[in-house]
Amino acid sequence: MYKTEIRGPLILGNKTLGQISEEITSPIYQRPKMWWLVGMGISSILMLLGFWGIYVTIATGIGTWGVNNTVGWGWAIINFVWWIGIGHAGTAFSIFLLILRQEWRSSINRAAEAMTVVAVGCAAIFPALHMGRVWDAFFIFPYPNTRGPLWVNYNSPLFWDFIAITAYLLISASFWFLGMIPDFATIRDTTKSKVKKAVYGFFAMGWRGSVGEWKRYEGLAFVLGGIAAVLVVSVHSIVSTDFAVSVEPGWHTTLFPPYFVVGAIFSGFAMVMTLMVIIRKIYKLHDYITNRHLDNVAKILVFVSLIMGTAYLTEIFIAWYSANEYEMFTLFRNRITGEYTVQFWIMFICNALIPQLMWFKKIRHNIKIVFVISILINLGMWFERFNIVITSLAKDYLPSAWADYSPTFVEIAVFLGTLGIFAFGVLLFFKYIPMIAIHEVKMVNKLKTDKKK
Amino acid sequence: MEDDKKRLLGVFDGEEPLVQAFRKFKQENVEISDVFTPFPIHEVLENHGKKTRIITVSWFYGFFAAAAVLAFLYYTAVIDWPLNYGGKPSSAFPSFIVITLILTIFSVTILSLFTFSARARIWPNVGKPVCHEGATDDKFVIMFDTEKVDAEKVKQLLKDLGAVEIIEKQDSETPIV
Repeated sequence: MYKTEIRGPLILGNKTLGQISEEITSPIYQRPKMWWLVGMGISSILMLLGFWGIYVTIATGIGTWGVNNTVGWGWAIINFVWWIGIGHAGTAFSIFLLILRQEWRSSINRAAEAMTVVAVGCAAIFPALHMGRVWDAFFIFPYPNTRGPLWVNYNSPLFWDFIAITAYLLISASFWFLGMIPDFATIRDTTKSKVKKAVYGFFAMGWRGSVGEWKRYEGLAFVLGGIAAVLVVSVHSIVSTDFAVSVEPGWHTTLFPPYFVVGAIFSGFAMVMTLMVIIRKIYKLHDYITNRHLDNVAKILVFVSLIMGTAYLTEIFIAWYSANEYEMFTLFRNRITGEYTVQFWIMFICNALIPQLMWFKKIRHNIKIVFVISILINLGMWFERFNIVITSLAKDYLPSAWADYSPTFVEIAVFLGTLGIFAFGVLLFFKYIPMIAIHEVKMVNKLKTDKKK
Repeated sequence: MEDDKKRLLGVFDGEEPLVQAFRKFKQENVEISDVFTPFPIHEVLENHGKKTRIITVSWFYGFFAAAAVLAFLYYTAVIDWPLNYGGKPSSAFPSFIVITLILTIFSVTILSLFTFSARARIWPNVGKPVCHEGATDDKFVIMFDTEKVDAEKVKQLLKDLGAVEIIEKQDSETPIV
């Protein structure tokens, strides 16, 4: 008979409340460590490279990229979708687990949300540059202009996308910031440094923890949580309509919205896993981010990986079942075999096969293997977007219009730049913001997860 | 000035003693002005008597935002300057849905945040006095208005309930929100 194990406490070490404040805020008081400075240095160099790429793109034009008439969407859109996908984890984490009343989220959601904000910021760079004349980017706002007024095309998924990304960036940032207000107040009231008191005091916005504040805070968190859950699902569905509403082979399917949303959550959770392993290793937060937390994330990854595998197989099955020769060609002769075989199989193996290893408890509990798998998933997810964007465009209906695509150094530089921005943002977060939501951890400190409500 | 108005603060060092004290004062019908805690304690939030309407208000924000967005889309795309995109209808309700949904969420977020900020007085105000520095760390503070309660009785009760500290403060140091 299968026996359910008794689950341990969420937070280990039987901590007092003062200890929790002290341990979580301690990185803020430590002098920057060597690895942190090195990390900042490397990410700054990457950022400079990225800024150079952006400068060249803006000063000369999109001609500096490898895109052509046939493959109009190159690395820019791949990276855009990839970053947005990673950015889905934060909100998915906080919101879905909040709605499902999963108390274990409270050690992880702060970092996941931080990651979201930075990743969505990175993502937004690409479509802005891809528009071509970025200084005219404001044309996309429906504002009363002198050209008619000529309003924008509300039927275009590209406009939906613009709205969705803007809203998502703003809402995830405000949800993140709202959660930090009580923790900034904790720092304000416990620090001995006058500068820190002033700075964190400014951002704590006069928080005192009174009944009126907490009550409204919880009400607002409930409202934002509820509507952000809708937003998470709709943002990536909208991103998928950028593809699905067109008539390219391999894109024009109704599978796309759920496929994209699940893929986004997959890559986001993988990135959360990567970051959590790093944070807990470096800052010794093993008591807060326990093996059980990582185990839970790993279980979600296994399940989502199954959905991803099903989606890949469904795509292939429908291509065959529909007997549409263009779909057949794209899936069977252009992805599974053909010029883009390597990319397809990296995607399939990294996303659908390797995560299945985490069915085994031994592997889930081996943090090194889990860490490697989480990185492989994000690699696989990048190649998934490569498959979608490039293979369909490069060889569509007219063989006379077929073209190859390879990125130029400028495109690669912009991508490396966003990696730099991401690392830079995350490192700043490590150093200056409590990485774990202090007040939420205090709340669940005494709880056991098997507690009956 | 209102300097003669005094506040009485009882400080506890745990959630349990605070909740015990809270129940006791409720039983004794002593009016509690406010409670300051490092994290939300639902028993206190629910029974203190302060109400919030932020959820209702947000619902109305959403309702009006949705109507406003749809009206804007209809005005710009159908009435003001209908454009012909490959013969598609100008009044394309299905493609308005997406924008309406997202912009409604957007408006609800912004408006609710401002409502929260205004009602809970959470904005960058550095000078705002903090009632007790431990209340965001590991102390649980219960506050009384000495004009409304019998100060001596409350002090005695606080002592009996195991308050680690009993402080008197001026009104201006602990404004009630």
